Amino acid sequence: MVISKMPVYNLYMGCSVPANYPNYEAATFKIAKAYDMQLEYMEGVGCCGSPNLRAIDYMGWLTVNARTLAIAEKNGHDIVTPCNGCFASLKDAYHFLKHDADYRKKVNAILKKESLEFKGTITPRHFVEALYTDIGIEEIKKKVTKPLDGVGIAIHYGCHLLRPVDVTEFRPEYLDELVQATGASVVEYPLWKQCCGATVLPVDENVAIRLARDKIKSMKESGAEFITVVCPACGNQLDLQQLGLKESYGEEYNLPVLLYPQILGLALGMDEEEVGLSMNRVPADPILDHLTG
Amino acid sequence: MAETEESTGPPATLIDPIEMSKLDTKFREEIHSMPNGEELSACFACSTCTAACPIANIWKYKPHQLIRMILLGMRDEVLSSDEIWLCLTCFQCQERCPQKVRVTDIFFDCKNLAAEEGKVPPNIVGLGKELLEKGQLYTVTADWEREDMGLEPDVPGLSVDGLRNILKETRTSKLVDGDK
Amino acid sequence: MSNPVLIIGAGVAGMTAAVELADSGIKTILVERQETVGGNALDLYKAFPTDDCFYCFEGNRWRPGIRKCFYRSALTDQPNISLRMNSEIGDISGAPDQFSVKLKVGPGYVNPKKCTMCGLCLEKSEAFRLLSPQCQPQAVVYDPTKADDGAKQAEEECPTKAINLGAQPTEETVQVSDIVIATGYHEMQPVNVDEYNYGKHPNIITQLELAKIIDPIGESGGVPVRPSDGKPAKRVMMVQCVGSRDENYYPYCSKICCIFALKHANILTQERDDVKVSVVYMDIRTYDRYERYYRESRNTGVEFVRGRVSLIEPRKDDTLDITVYDSLLDKYLKFSVDLFVLSSALEPSEGTDKLIETLGIKSTSGFVGMVDPASENEVVVGDHIYACGAALGPAEVPESVTQARAVVSKILQSRK
Repeated sequence: MVISKMPVYNLYMGCSVPANYPNYEAATFKIAKAYDMQLEYMEGVGCCGSPNLRAIDYMGWLTVNARTLAIAEKNGHDIVTPCNGCFASLKDAYHFLKHDADYRKKVNAILKKESLEFKGTITPRHFVEALYTDIGIEEIKKKVTKPLDGVGIAIHYGCHLLRPVDVTEFRPEYLDELVQATGASVVEYPLWKQCCGATVLPVDENVAIRLARDKIKSMKESGAEFITVVCPACGNQLDLQQLGLKESYGEEYNLPVLLYPQILGLALGMDEEEVGLSMNRVPADPILDHLTG
Repeated sequence: MAETEESTGPPATLIDPIEMSKLDTKFREEIHSMPNGEELSACFACSTCTAACPIANIWKYKPHQLIRMILLGMRDEVLSSDEIWLCLTCFQCQERCPQKVRVTDIFFDCKNLAAEEGKVPPNIVGLGKELLEKGQLYTVTADWEREDMGLEPDVPGLSVDGLRNILKETRTSKLVDGDK
Repeated sequence: MSNPVLIIGAGVAGMTAAVELADSGIKTILVERQETVGGNALDLYKAFPTDDCFYCFEGNRWRPGIRKCFYRSALTDQPNISLRMNSEIGDISGAPDQFSVKLKVGPGYVNPKKCTMCGLCLEKSEAFRLLSPQCQPQAVVYDPTKADDGAKQAEEECPTKAINLGAQPTEETVQVSDIVIATGYHEMQPVNVDEYNYGKHPNIITQLELAKIIDPIGESGGVPVRPSDGKPAKRVMMVQCVGSRDENYYPYCSKICCIFALKHANILTQERDDVKVSVVYMDIRTYDRYERYYRESRNTGVEFVRGRVSLIEPRKDDTLDITVYDSLLDKYLKFSVDLFVLSSALEPSEGTDKLIETLGIKSTSGFVGMVDPASENEVVVGDHIYACGAALGPAEVPESVTQARAVVSKILQSRK
C-alpha cells in the first residue's frame, strides 16, 4: 500500500484577501484540496504591514514579519500566501534577516517576549509557487476536465511577486505555465512588467489610475480576453479601476479580472459559484459562455 | 588671475550654485549603513533607473538624480521630496541597475529617515494609525460574503495583538502620537 | 651581416623593442633625446594595470634579477644594444634596408660609466641634478644654463673624474636596416584652454605633474601638497577631457587619461590621509579591464560630477572656488579645492611632424599613421619602418609593450 503524504502548509492569509476577496480565499482552498495540499490557517497572526509600514517603520515591519515566520517555524511547515504584498513582506524580511546577523539579533530580542525566535528554518512562499513546484505542471494538467482552449489571458504577475528576483526567487514562466496548464494561451503585451498602481493609491490617485489604464489598454490591444492576477491588491486595482475608467477616460475595456485559482478551478470543472465569479466587478460572463459553449 | 575675497553679497553672476561645503557629507554613509544601502556608491549615473521607472516623467527629481543627491549630501532635499513617497516600489529600477544599486530599497531607507524626522504624508500616517489601532489594514465587514463562499465568518487564527504590541514600541506609535 | 635596427625613443615601447630584438641576436641602436630612459612612464610611480613600477611588469618577471630592474640591467648588460643618450635624429637618406641616419649627440658632460652618483657635485652646484634614483644611465645630469663656480669645483673634485664641462656636441652617421619609431606622447600644456587658468595659479596642475607630486620618491614623500605653499592638499578636483575630444585642440580621445586620473584618485583616497577627490567628466572611458579603477574609485568615495567647469575663483588662502555645472542634476555646484588637476590631452611628442615628413610616412592627427588604416598591422608605417607605443597615438603601457613585440616579430620575419 502506498501512503501518500499530503504536503502541509502554514496558510498566511493577511488582511486583504479575507476582507475583500473571500472568493479568492475559497478558490485557493478548493484548488489545494483538489491537489491534496493541506493548508492550515496560521494561529495568532494578522496583517503584514504592507510596503507602507516598511516605508515608515522598518524595524516594526521587520519584527512583525519575523514574528510570523517564527510562529511558522514552530509549526515546522513552509508558509504559503495568496497575496503578493504579504509574500513580499515575508520574503523580504526573511531574506534580509537571513543575511543580516545584527538585525536578526535585534529582532529576536523583541520576539523573545513571546518566546519566539527567528531562525530562518522555513521559507515563505506564494501559493502559486507551491503549486508550481510541489505539485508540478504535469499533475495539474491531469485534473483539468474543462480546458480553457483558445482563451487569451494576459497575466499581471505583480511587481512584488517578480522583483527583486534575488529576494522573491519567482520567475514569470512559473505563472505562464500554470495558466497554460488550464488550456488557455498566454497573451504577451508590452507593459507586462508595469505596476498596476495600487501602491501609490494613498499618495496620488491620478497616477494610480493612469498606471492601471495604460496597463489594461496594453493588454486589450494585444488581444487579451481576460486578466489573471495572484494578488488581492493588484486584482482590486485592475478590476475596480475599469469601472472608474469609464468615467475618467471614457474608455471601456471589459476585461474580466480573475484570480488564478478561479481560472484553474473552472478548468477543473468547478462551477461559477464555487469559484465565486459573481464577486468579480467586471462581469466574467464571456468565460462562462466559452465553457458552456 | 585676480583673487577674490569670500563673497557675502549676491552672486556675481546669474549662476547661483549649491555650496558643496554646506551639504551633509555624512548622508552618503548614513544610507550606506542602512538595510540594503551598501551598493549606493557603485552608482555611475547611467540613469537606467529613470528609464525603467514608469512614472519618473512626472517627477521633479528623477531616480538617478535622487541617488546623485544622496551621494552629494543633499539630505534635506531628498528627505523632503515628494518623490520618495510617490515611488511605486515596483523594483524595476533596482532590478535593472547595472551596478546592483538597490534603488528601491534605498528609497525605503530614505522614507524611514524622513519618518524619523516626522516627514510623512498624512495618508501614510493614517495607514500607520490604522495598523496601530486595528492591527490590520483591512477588516472583514461583509462576513456574509465569506459565508456565501463557505468560509467561516471570522478569519480563523486571526490575531491583531501581535502586530499592535510590536508597533507600540517602534516608530509607528511615535509618528501617530506626533500627529495628534 | 645585416645592418642594425634603429630605434627612436627609449620609453616603454622603444626599450621593449630594443631588448627583445637584442635578445634575438639583432644589433640595435637605441636613441634617446632625454638624459634618462623611461620616457613618461618614469614619472608614473604606479602604472596600470599591475600598479607596479612600470619596470617590473608581469611579463618581464621571468628574467633573473628582475626586481633589480630588468630594463636597467638589460640596457647595460645586453651587448647588442647601443644606447645613445641625449641624442636626436638628423637627416635620413638611403633606401629601405639601407638607411643612412645622422645622429646629433649632445655634449657628454657626465660620463655615466664613471659616475657613481656619490652626490658630491649635487652639493656643489644646482647645475647638477639626479633625475630619479631609477634613472638610466645611472648618472647625474648637468644643465649648462646653470653653470657656476660650484660646477667647476665639482669637475675638479669629482672622485671618479666623470665630469667634463667642456664637452662638445658631436655628430655621427649610422647605417641601419630598419627604423622603429617609438617617440611616445607629450602631455599638452593646457595654457591655451583659458577657462582652466593653467599656468596662472600654482595649484592648477596637470595629471603628470600630480603624478610627480604623489610619487613617494618625490619632494613631499608622496604627500599630496599644494605647489603654492607646500601645505597638504585635502580637497582635489580633477577635470577630464582638457583639450581632448575638442575640435579646437585635439579631436581624438586621449584614451588613457580617464584611467590614470582614476588611478591617481584611488591612490589619493586609499593611500593618503584624508583626501577628498572630485572628478568632473563628460564620459568616463575606462575601457576593457580598466573598469575596475572606476568601480574602485566610486567605492572609495571619489565624487563624480558629470558636467563642465563654469568658473574658477582663486581665494587669498590659495584655495580655489570652482563652480561646476552638473548636467545630471541640472544644477550648479560650488566646490572649494586645494588642487585642481587637468587631465590634459596627450599630443605627439615634439619633432614627430618633422620625422613624419623626413620619412615620407603618413600622419594621423599628428601621430605616426599606419600604412594601411584598414590593416591589422598597425605597427607597419612604411617600408622597413615601424612604430610602436604612443608614437601611434595615446597608448597604455601594456599596449605599448605588445606593439613593440609586434615590431620585433615583423623584423624577425623579414630577416628569415
